[in-house]
Amino acid sequence: MKSYGAMAGRYLKQQRRRSILTIVGIILSVALISALGTMGQALKDNMILNAKYEDGSFHIGFSKSTPELYETLKKHMLVDQLGIYRPGESTSLQGNYKVELGSVDEGALKLLPAHLQEGRLPASADELIVEQWLLDLLPGTPKLNGSAELNGPDGKPHAYRIVGIMNNQKITQLKGSSKAYTLMDPAHLIIDSKTALFLTFKPGVDINRQLTDFSKLSKDMFTNTNLLALMGESRDTGLNRALAIIFGTLVGLVVLSTVAVIYNAFHIAVLERIRQFGLLRTLGASPRQVRNLVLREATVLSVIGVPLGLLIGWSGLWLVLSLMAKGGMKIMMMEKFQLTFHWWIIGGSFVIGFLAVYLAAWLPARKASSVSPVEAVKGAGSIVRESYRRLRIPSVLSLLGIEGQMASNNIRRNRTKFRITTFSIVISIMLFIVFHYFTQQTLNLTTTTNEDDRVAFQLTRNFFSDDTGKPQQASDIVSDDKMKQLRELPGVYGVYGKYQSIDPQALVPDKQFKNDFAKKTDGQFEQVKWNGQSNKVVYSRLMLYDEARFQEAAKYVISGTADPKKLSAADGVLLIQTVKPLTVAGKKEIMPLTRYKVGDKLTLMTDYSKMPTAKQVREVTVAGILTQSPFDAAYQENSLVIIAAKPTFAKLLEAIPKTDYLNSYGTARTGIDVALKDGADSNLIKQNLEEIARSTPGSRLIDIAAEQKETRNFNLQMQIFVYSFLVIIGVIGSLNIINTVQTNLLLRRREIGLLQAVGMTMGQIRRMASAEGVWFGVIGSIWGILLGAGFSYFLYVQLSGVQGMPFEFPWSASLIAGGAALLVGLISVQGPLRRMEKANLIEELREEA
Amino acid sequence: MNVINVDGLSKSYGKGSTQVNALHDVSFSIKQGEFVAVVGASGSGKSTLLHMLGGLDKPSSGYVHIDGENLYALMEKQRAVFRRRKIGFIFQSYNLIPVLNVEENIQLPLLLDRRQPDQAYINDLIHTLGLHERRKHLPSELSGGQQQRVAIGRALAYRPAIVLADEPTGNLDSANGREVLELLKLAVRQYHQTVIVISHDMNVAAEADRVLNMQDGKLINDTSSGGRGI
Repeated sequence: MKSYGAMAGRYLKQQRRRSILTIVGIILSVALISALGTMGQALKDNMILNAKYEDGSFHIGFSKSTPELYETLKKHMLVDQLGIYRPGESTSLQGNYKVELGSVDEGALKLLPAHLQEGRLPASADELIVEQWLLDLLPGTPKLNGSAELNGPDGKPHAYRIVGIMNNQKITQLKGSSKAYTLMDPAHLIIDSKTALFLTFKPGVDINRQLTDFSKLSKDMFTNTNLLALMGESRDTGLNRALAIIFGTLVGLVVLSTVAVIYNAFHIAVLERIRQFGLLRTLGASPRQVRNLVLREATVLSVIGVPLGLLIGWSGLWLVLSLMAKGGMKIMMMEKFQLTFHWWIIGGSFVIGFLAVYLAAWLPARKASSVSPVEAVKGAGSIVRESYRRLRIPSVLSLLGIEGQMASNNIRRNRTKFRITTFSIVISIMLFIVFHYFTQQTLNLTTTTNEDDRVAFQLTRNFFSDDTGKPQQASDIVSDDKMKQLRELPGVYGVYGKYQSIDPQALVPDKQFKNDFAKKTDGQFEQVKWNGQSNKVVYSRLMLYDEARFQEAAKYVISGTADPKKLSAADGVLLIQTVKPLTVAGKKEIMPLTRYKVGDKLTLMTDYSKMPTAKQVREVTVAGILTQSPFDAAYQENSLVIIAAKPTFAKLLEAIPKTDYLNSYGTARTGIDVALKDGADSNLIKQNLEEIARSTPGSRLIDIAAEQKETRNFNLQMQIFVYSFLVIIGVIGSLNIINTVQTNLLLRRREIGLLQAVGMTMGQIRRMASAEGVWFGVIGSIWGILLGAGFSYFLYVQLSGVQGMPFEFPWSASLIAGGAALLVGLISVQGPLRRMEKANLIEELREEA
Repeated sequence: MNVINVDGLSKSYGKGSTQVNALHDVSFSIKQGEFVAVVGASGSGKSTLLHMLGGLDKPSSGYVHIDGENLYALMEKQRAVFRRRKIGFIFQSYNLIPVLNVEENIQLPLLLDRRQPDQAYINDLIHTLGLHERRKHLPSELSGGQQQRVAIGRALAYRPAIVLADEPTGNLDSANGREVLELLKLAVRQYHQTVIVISHDMNVAAEADRVLNMQDGKLINDTSSGGRGI
């Protein structure tokens, strides 16, 4: 031994179990901190990439240009990439579809959101790229590398070779019009008032400061607002700040819990050795030397734990991501996901890890250094003079007999120890609740969760009036048998019928209306008298669901039932009364519109005349309330969604005048939605549907399989991340509790030996220790839940800056965390108790006598 | 030459009616190379006196001079350094550092001072104490008598001005107790150490050059060598 400092290593080796536990705690915390940082950065990167994917990667653009403007920009020092886009004439295709062929230069192809599925970008003015769904509609139904005649930039028809196929977009399919791109002849660039220019700035340019200068070049400047906002280059920095606060808070909480775990470990390690520190002091160690000894232990632990934590955090994240990539998922909807190595995250986690350990070890080190040498020499077992506090209120624990009374005395006799123990349980519970809340909200924010996500194909049919102007009577697009066949195809998750909906007005009695809604939005509702009551007229959408849809709806029921048989038996409907309006504050917010309960009567007026009459007013019963719409948009802005089964829907249809076009649709199945299982191969299903579409006049197939797959993958990835985070948090919390409870007990080995000596049975000791453990759990849970809810609310305030939503008390997380704390506490006392049982009673008593 | 000068030393604990006078106006001096026993009933103040001599606790009044240094005029840190260099402690319950082996325990005071031990002296000490075969053993692998010999070695390692021993034979059987006592006497003879022993053990008092008798915090009797009794 060269120096007294080497004693630190000896102590750590001697207490191998605790040292390992502490190192594991440090590793997990550092891993979590670095993973959180990386994920936060990845989330931001992802949002930027997403914005680029959707809106293009240009920073600013000019909607009209002149050759002078083009030359200025081309030579501008700050401009990195420059692109030209000139819209063309549109070409009408069969079935009312349109395609517009725009010409671009090579720069614009990089800056605009054109994403190739197959093939390549156009390389000459005779080549074009087009969305995949248009291929079937182009004259001659060409394939890749085929050719088609379209109106060229000059307005005249021209033959083009199709060299690339772009991903299908839902919106262009629904609109029935799409864009195709061809290359502008570089030798004859047409720069006129129809031409738009797009550009990016060079890296490192403070874009925000340049915006004013560039807007002076032309009044037709526009910005890629979303992208600039995400890059922190717009005047509205709200999102970036909210993200920083949220991730800062989460990292702060992890640091706090790390400090708690390590503080605990050190505090108890110091308490156990108080005599030895006293001894060192009598031998002439200065307080500083004793303090350094403890800090040296901290150094050894962090030198081992922090780098390992960084390694594990990084490689763990890498492993999860590469496994997902192997599973054929696109990470975060990105074509190519690379886990970018950010030095600031690694460096930051490193520094934070060390700081946390030193912070945690500081107080115990000071305590060790202030040990009085006399105390050690006097040979008192414990340095802590325990002041027994007599509480006026008898503890609930006293009800548990002598063991309970002993337990309550033990808990009360040392406030510091009590505080430390509960503190670490509180931290663990709080951490879990906050992370649970945050991850659930992130899931809600980043993933649209609705059954529509699974829908990959839609088959629809339009009905036209016949020659006399009388609407055609609708019939089922697909028979029940065919539906069954489709459902049995491999990879099909569900096949749902689509029906014409009715938009009746709901007469909502004033007492059923949520005044909050009126206060937060400036929505006005008409007042109408009906049945002697004052009612608000609320627009609503009445949907007809088939059995398959009701089955999915059951997942969203908050109260009541979604069983179609029960519904039709009593004219029951499902109601979605949660809406997401734009508030006066200019933010989307989720809130209830009305306060209906299961069993309430809902009055519907099916005609649009002002005054309700008995002829067109119907009553239905609310049989079930859903959190959100299972299909279509999850939330309406300011209207109710009512879902009925066929018999009820038919009855309501009767209240509509016979001449109304709605009656010609009746309850016919006008379309179907086909939902796929995750990872299913869509080709066979597509072939089947194409066959139906061909044999059914007026029908068409909308293919959104690619888009759907990406959405589902993204949702799945988010869930994997969220739940792995929660598992790590759970492990950290449990470690913390195990560490505290076990050492708390091991410190009292001698005392428990004494209790055995005076005749307490091991069973009684076990009951006493368990009662203590449970009590710590109860107190810890109460505070943990309170603080957890508080911090969750704080995060909610930050998150609602991104998107409005109601605050929900984190009940489920509280329940899980509280229950787990009690369980972990109870289980972790068993190990030390068993060891004590085996140990020699006399040895325990003699130790340190 | 006096190595210890104690003058009007008093120590009281508590206040008012609960005040306890552990030491009351104690004065004496000890010469270098003396083997002194402090005897007295339980609660007579002998342990408190030892703490004062070791600079572990502060007196209410009075002075302790060791090797000419006023112990309680020193700062806490200086006193720690002083203790390290000038005072060797031996306790009833050995109080060895469990994670250090025999040799390391003995060298500890030097290591605390960041000094490389004089290996020849340490070896001599270990041989004298009969521990040469146990050099690399941990305290838990030693008998009580051996542990106490390690403690003596540690107390002598720095060649301190005084060695303070608090009931050094209290936990030992008579054979081992005798051996420890012989070693302490050897220290006085061989290394010209000053040793002060607190003890109930009449054998210890009988072996001492001088016996200080304490009662109720006061020094009631001071017999010099050759007295062979009180």
